[in-house]
Amino acid sequence: MPESKRIEIQVLRYRPEQEDVPVWQSYYVPFTDDMSVLQGLQHIKDDIDGTLSFRWSCRMAICGSCGMMVNGIPKLSCQTFLRDLLPGPVRVEALSHFPIERDLVVSVEPFVKKLESVKPYIIPKKPRSLDQGEYLQTPEQLEQFEQFSSCINCMLCYAACPQFGLTPDFIGPGVLALAHRYNADSRDGGQAERMEIMSTEEGVWDCSAVGYCSEVCPKHVDPANAVNQNKVNSAKDYFLRFLSPKGASK
Amino acid sequence: MNARAGVRRPYVRSMQGWWRRDPFFMAYMAREMTAFAVAIYAVVLAVGVMRLAQGEAAWNGWLAALRSPGSILLHLVLLVSFAVHAKSWFEIMPKTMPMMFVGGRRVEASTITRTGWIATLVVSVLMFALTWWWKK
Amino acid sequence: MDVFKADVAIVGAGGAGLRAAIAVAEADPSLTIALISKVYPMRSHTVAAEGGAAAVTQSHDSLEAHFHDTVAGGDWLCEQDVVEFFVGQAHEEMVQMEHWGCPWSRTADGRANVRAFGGMKIERTWFAADKTGFHMLHTLFQTSIKYPSIKRFDEHFCADLIVDEGRVQGVVAIEIATGQFRMIQAKSVIIATGGAGRVFRENTNGGIVTGDGMALAYRHGVPLRDMEFVQYHPTCMPGTGLLFTEACRGEGGFLLNKDGYRYLQDYGLGPASDKPRNKAMELGPRDRLSQAYWHEKQKGRTLSDPRWGSYVHLDLRHLGEQKLRERLPQIYELAVEYLGVDPAKECIPVLPAVHYTMGGITADGNTAAPLPGLYSVGECSSVGIHGANRLGSNSLTELIVFGKVAGVQAVAYGKTVSHGKEATLRKLAEDAERRALALVARSDGTERVATLRREMAKSMEEGCGIYRTASTMQSTCDKLAELKQRYKRVQVDDHSKVWNTDWLLAIELGFLIDVAEAMAHSALNRRESRGSHQRLDGFEARDDVNFLKHSLAHYRGADAPQIGYGPVKITTSTPATRAYGAAGEEADRKAKEEAVHA
Repeated sequence: MPESKRIEIQVLRYRPEQEDVPVWQSYYVPFTDDMSVLQGLQHIKDDIDGTLSFRWSCRMAICGSCGMMVNGIPKLSCQTFLRDLLPGPVRVEALSHFPIERDLVVSVEPFVKKLESVKPYIIPKKPRSLDQGEYLQTPEQLEQFEQFSSCINCMLCYAACPQFGLTPDFIGPGVLALAHRYNADSRDGGQAERMEIMSTEEGVWDCSAVGYCSEVCPKHVDPANAVNQNKVNSAKDYFLRFLSPKGASK
Repeated sequence: MNARAGVRRPYVRSMQGWWRRDPFFMAYMAREMTAFAVAIYAVVLAVGVMRLAQGEAAWNGWLAALRSPGSILLHLVLLVSFAVHAKSWFEIMPKTMPMMFVGGRRVEASTITRTGWIATLVVSVLMFALTWWWKK
Repeated sequence: MDVFKADVAIVGAGGAGLRAAIAVAEADPSLTIALISKVYPMRSHTVAAEGGAAAVTQSHDSLEAHFHDTVAGGDWLCEQDVVEFFVGQAHEEMVQMEHWGCPWSRTADGRANVRAFGGMKIERTWFAADKTGFHMLHTLFQTSIKYPSIKRFDEHFCADLIVDEGRVQGVVAIEIATGQFRMIQAKSVIIATGGAGRVFRENTNGGIVTGDGMALAYRHGVPLRDMEFVQYHPTCMPGTGLLFTEACRGEGGFLLNKDGYRYLQDYGLGPASDKPRNKAMELGPRDRLSQAYWHEKQKGRTLSDPRWGSYVHLDLRHLGEQKLRERLPQIYELAVEYLGVDPAKECIPVLPAVHYTMGGITADGNTAAPLPGLYSVGECSSVGIHGANRLGSNSLTELIVFGKVAGVQAVAYGKTVSHGKEATLRKLAEDAERRALALVARSDGTERVATLRREMAKSMEEGCGIYRTASTMQSTCDKLAELKQRYKRVQVDDHSKVWNTDWLLAIELGFLIDVAEAMAHSALNRRESRGSHQRLDGFEARDDVNFLKHSLAHYRGADAPQIGYGPVKITTSTPATRAYGAAGEEADRKAKEEAVHA
């Protein structure tokens, strides 16, 4: 067995019952070239310090649990490899722009509340009974929204978004992309209802097109696109209100 | 409330100096700053139009001012700012547009950016040619 | 202790739990549903499922064909009446998912597309790119938001069931963010907590798949059924065990040994052909493919790497980059990012890893456990459709077909009972709280959680692997007994209340050891080979005379579980030889001939 190398992982610890302010702690972890940052953290928890708390599950970048800042960049720790961070030290911190509950665990509840607020479900354009079978949807129609449906709710985009950091009420890239996913689905007729939420200040208009959200998205959802193309829709909707007393729905 | 329960004390980190934390943010701030360059140049041009309306002497005075070393330096800075402005806005432009398909294939973001640059080049060449021909 | 009163409590918010919650909400909007999950719903392991969900769709397909494939795939250990019900409901549930927005992949004319899958005679697997579980889970979660009667308890760890007067009356949960205990009183409880793959070392499962609900039901006297049947998925990533979907093979991938030879043809799955043939070669059932790998390894024909040991090649090069990026985009990314392999140019290293737990909480066709008020659905449950080996794409369908059944049944049951006395139940809840807290209070423990977990996982891999012998299984049983003793002295590092995951991992370890014991003892006692339980010690053949029955593991506290047996319901399909490849085609042809002459 070749002698294993070691790499230093520095973690921003925060134990609310013990300290008032987060503090950096250093660990030395044996290194192999296929190890992810997550595996490094697991080694720390298993064999060095069981008090380190962090979320994780699938290990394959699909559950969205393990988002954290690695050397200052929002990453999924299961998909970030120590070999790319040599010689170290690797600095690991809870996802930016979120309050830290404990160590690498941030408050997720507000994000989930925002997700719930944009009516992220099909509001059928035309009713259809189960025995009529599936709605017809061509591959081209599917392509209109499939990309935006790939969001794993990992919140890396929120950690990347300075507007969210400055204005925590901003609905944010991920949730607005989800709203767009439904708006763009040929089966859905809920655009007007969602427009009311999306065209508020906390909706698309808090976005200043920084574009970092799309850079960090591990699933290539391109939330910046979802948000910014809806600024046009929102503006259209606003101005068309003056032409039609009912407002421009659809 | 359960007496045994631990008290949550979420820690909120400061946003002070946020734009210095990541090169991406610094590039973004540079982009935003170039909006000032656009504003400044708009003022320069507005002054020019005003001088034009005030007669030949005023107009020649304005042209002379433009040729001063201070002005040339300013214009160089503005030119660089405009280049940064154009580059960063053409990069973000695809984000503002809905999905487009040409001949059944999805139009890539890079195509949109490239189209922006090509349009800029074409218009710039046309403007040069026009002013050159006009001067003659 | 906080008390929340609900009509139905659902533990686990994956595909099955969410579907059950929606079913309750739709059946009776006036009922309160407590949906309790130790993770946010979108983190549930349903999210990782890739390949698809089976439902008879094409006009040349039939319920009989899906029924037969499933029963034969399960090596005749299925409850055939339940399978009949299952195949009949599948299509409607797929359409329901579609109406709720699931982005199923489509044919050119806009209908839902279906693809071939292992062990299925005719293409009937609905799919959403290669992320079907992800899309189903997110569709269900987002749809569940429509129903105000679903009250979610996100990041609440279920520490115990509350059982009184011979029936289930609620659960005790820990709010992970604060360490606070909550009692959720309910007239019925649906367990949808998933499988227990984490008892093994190499597995495709997420960290949360620790058999929580199985262990809780088990400890309260509900037998765990058919626990020895653990599925090894043939194509997983070496090192991490991450899954490369069966759809890779459905799209035409090959499995090659170190000589570049498609070795499956040597194991009754041939002959090899260029285009995929259903139920042949790489589209054979998972247990056969994993077993073929094991034989190749014994013969020294597998490849080897110092990091991982032995493996074989999954060859997708002939599909071409465009088709790969379109049909298997997630696989593409997995191979490139984790292994540095471009599937369009190189073969992907793969090997079998533990993937699915066929067994689970004993459930009848209505998902009801022998304990009144308790229902179970999904991987944690043994409702009887998978038997000794599960066919790929049957389990995603299972979540929604039986999720709905569980919800409807829980509503019906709730009408026949009333809430128990809060004071009595509160006392039981406080007992459960004390037991859970004893783990974190201890300061003189000598064992580390991770050490015990590793020893368990290694032992299970050795004793309850793809092939088993009495001596390896006995060693594992002995080891687990030892671990159970050592667990009593486990020491947790973290004594805090806010987000103490060290403590929760220790509780999960307890669940894992109990479930592992049920698996190992059930395996040792089944003296035959059937489906995914294969022995090399004189019991290599299937024994329908003595073992055409379900194993039932009964919890005996500190002692080893007692293994009993229960009958298997046979309706129209009498046990026959499982035939795939050319033999399968021959058997089908003969059966058709006989049907014509009859």
